[in-house]
Amino acid sequence: MSTLSTNITAEAGSPHPTILVVESDVLVRLVIADYLRECGYRVHEAVSAEEAVAILQSPEVSVDVVFSDVEMPGTMDGFGLARWTRTNKPGTEVILTSGAERSADIAATLCEAGPLLRKPYPSQDVVDRIKQLTAKARRS
Amino acid sequence: MSAASVTVLPRRTPPTILVVEGDVRTRCLVSDELRGSGFKVLEAGSAHEALTVIDAVRVDLLFIALDLPGAQSGLETARLAGARQKPIKIILASLDGEVDPGGLGPLVRKPYPASQVVGLVMRSLNWPAPA
Repeated sequence: MSTLSTNITAEAGSPHPTILVVESDVLVRLVIADYLRECGYRVHEAVSAEEAVAILQSPEVSVDVVFSDVEMPGTMDGFGLARWTRTNKPGTEVILTSGAERSADIAATLCEAGPLLRKPYPSQDVVDRIKQLTAKARRS
Repeated sequence: MSAASVTVLPRRTPPTILVVEGDVRTRCLVSDELRGSGFKVLEAGSAHEALTVIDAVRVDLLFIALDLPGAQSGLETARLAGARQKPIKIILASLDGEVDPGGLGPLVRKPYPASQVVGLVMRSLNWPAPA
């Protein structure tokens, strides 16, 4: 029996990549998380970068792709989360999204492979990016 | 086999549960358990998020922590949600020492087994366990 004092359910053997959606707008998060689940992905949700780090630090949770907004409340934004992830979880891919032109340009520089989506993005574009990244990860 | 001999059973749409919890790992755990039991689960990390979802989406059951971050308590949020969307089932989660407000719905004490929440949700919605 799992209790709140134990860790999040182990995900080993999951046939689909696990995506962590980080988005402070609840309705945007709801839509994209729902779409990704419909596509067969296991999806965790975080309201902020701080929540995302808490999930990524859970030893039993294995996240394949972080899909995060750039603009977020709190002490860490999407860029900070991308840096943290690359440093602490090098096997985890990051896709950033932004509605701000300037942030989009900065993110394109920050992300070596340029995995960036400008808002508003079609949900299928997110799936296509995830497929590209996870296929690349499997090859390397 | 002729087409006339095939019986198509009606499929019930899974009820939608809104999990409102400020602790992300707790929210993640409970939501995962509920999804594993066949429910459609939405997540909110605060009172503001919960009411935004309630105003936008049909929710069948609200599972809400009383100890939410921010100025608005889980209890106040549950009352507002109940007034905005009817009918809606409500289950409350409280820390030790918090008083059961009574009247809104069943209450579970933290830390609770996630399976206890799933069982309570199934009973509240009269929803059968997955085969």
